[in-house]
Amino acid sequence: MINVSELTYTYAHGSRPAIRDISFEVEKGEVFALLGPSGAGKSTTQGILTGLLPLQGGRAEVAGYDLRHRSRQLFNQIGVSFEQSNVYSKLTALENLVFYRRLFDTATLEPEDLLKMVGLDQVANQKAASFSKGMKHRLTFARSLINQPALWFLDEPTTGLDPAIAAQIREIILERKQSGTTILLTTHNMVLAEQLSDRIGFIVEGELKLVDTPRNLKLRYGERLVQVEYRENNQSHKELLSLTDEQERLRLQTIIGSAEIEIMHTREASLEEIFIKVTGRELI
Amino acid sequence: MFRRIFAIARRDIKSGLRDNMILYILLAPLLIAGLLRAFIPGAGENLVSTAVVEGSPQTLVDMLEAHGSVEILADREAVLRRVRATDDVFGVMVDGEQIEIIADGQEQKGSDTMVRGILQVWQEPPSDLPLTISFSDIGWTLSPLARYGGNILLVFTSVFGGMIVMLNLVEEKQEKTLAAVNVAAISRLEYIIGKGLLGFVIPIIHAWLILLIMGYEGIQYAMVTLVILSIALISLIIGFAIGIYNDNAMSAVSSMKIGFLPIFGSMFGAIFLAEKWHPLLYWSPFYWAFRSVDAIILHEADWGIFCSTAR
Repeated sequence: MINVSELTYTYAHGSRPAIRDISFEVEKGEVFALLGPSGAGKSTTQGILTGLLPLQGGRAEVAGYDLRHRSRQLFNQIGVSFEQSNVYSKLTALENLVFYRRLFDTATLEPEDLLKMVGLDQVANQKAASFSKGMKHRLTFARSLINQPALWFLDEPTTGLDPAIAAQIREIILERKQSGTTILLTTHNMVLAEQLSDRIGFIVEGELKLVDTPRNLKLRYGERLVQVEYRENNQSHKELLSLTDEQERLRLQTIIGSAEIEIMHTREASLEEIFIKVTGRELI
Repeated sequence: MFRRIFAIARRDIKSGLRDNMILYILLAPLLIAGLLRAFIPGAGENLVSTAVVEGSPQTLVDMLEAHGSVEILADREAVLRRVRATDDVFGVMVDGEQIEIIADGQEQKGSDTMVRGILQVWQEPPSDLPLTISFSDIGWTLSPLARYGGNILLVFTSVFGGMIVMLNLVEEKQEKTLAAVNVAAISRLEYIIGKGLLGFVIPIIHAWLILLIMGYEGIQYAMVTLVILSIALISLIIGFAIGIYNDNAMSAVSSMKIGFLPIFGSMFGAIFLAEKWHPLLYWSPFYWAFRSVDAIILHEADWGIFCSTAR
């Protein structure tokens, strides 16, 4: 669905490239997450792939269209949810979607259904100017689905939202994933990326450092640990022991044989820890 | 293609009708036209106002007073000045057996016939006496207020179309909605046509309504439409350019105001400058538009002139 090769882009006033030699592929039906800190080049990459930025260097094929020969038909197949809400504040929520659906040649979803899906059906006839930040974000998110995109670009879809709304958005993304929509997710939220993605690409300072599945990343870079809480001599104790270190494995066996275990569970390294280990950078 | 173009235009109309500044732009020309119409003399008046010089026969003054107000002025110059004023007053000069009626063109249509009738009754001329009543005006067939006020308004409304397009573009930039439009299946050409449509439609509707409100007679609407279309195109280009380079409505309106200067300069130059200085204004399309509308209002324009100008 997406085929990117040696993508390079430098902004007009930039002293160095915002992205350098980025190459990756996204298969049909796959959820691919670009993970990286602010300014890493995630949005630039997405900007090029959605046609908002020109193709300067390298090659990119999106939904079967070569971006060197741009066609408006491409946009019938893609949907873009922007990080910053961008809706017409003088129009109502419903009017925003009705207007947007008229810009496509393909069959579109009913605006009322989309508003219901994101919980805005009760305020469908209110002007977007009166909406909170979260409501505007949901409207932007709903709009990106109106043309039933085969390829869906999501830029920080849950950033700045309260946990309940973020969970609602995550559920919708999972539903679309199950129905076969290909998704390119750009985020610095490791939890979201891990929950939704089939594969993850770490991007730092404009370079794609690593691409793999969350499971493989953990197996390759994560240290398997066991967290154990036990009682001994009427006192509670808590220890974190490595399963790969022989001494710590023996210590675990001793605890199990002699003490009263209260809680014990394995703990994997988080994606954030792996990201820091691989890139040497934190996700800020 | 047309669905997308009309979607853009329809959105702009909807958004514009909820914007106080655009509403004002839409209504102001019509309100000004209504005010101008109210001040154009003659309409609705049924008495004849006259001005005579001191020493005119008392029987004449009595006769005129029986049909309206009479002002007795010092001399002929004073009468001429009075006639030139913006209201509806005839001058009546008696020189022996000769009576002169002075008008300036802003009197109610047909009221001169009434003055003539009054004077004939006053004279009660025997059929064997030679009597000459002459009627003259001082060069104007339409009041300056009607002629120039309506024209200035017509030319100026073309700018309002461009201004509305500009404000809608600035709105898109402020709300960052252009990015959303850029990832929809609409081409740049469709978007520009959709955005520009109002820049033509609004000035044409304004022009027609202004002409109706002003009550001009025998106007060639097709000619006016052609003139308005041609200057609306220029205003539209200016509106697009300002819209693209400004990120907020206030700075865009300020830029547009600078554009008003050559427009007003061209029109007032056409009114007040002597003919020999007019070549200085030939560069301005608004000068030509003003002259064209003037010719249409005065019924001096014909399609032959239009076509030769176009060539």
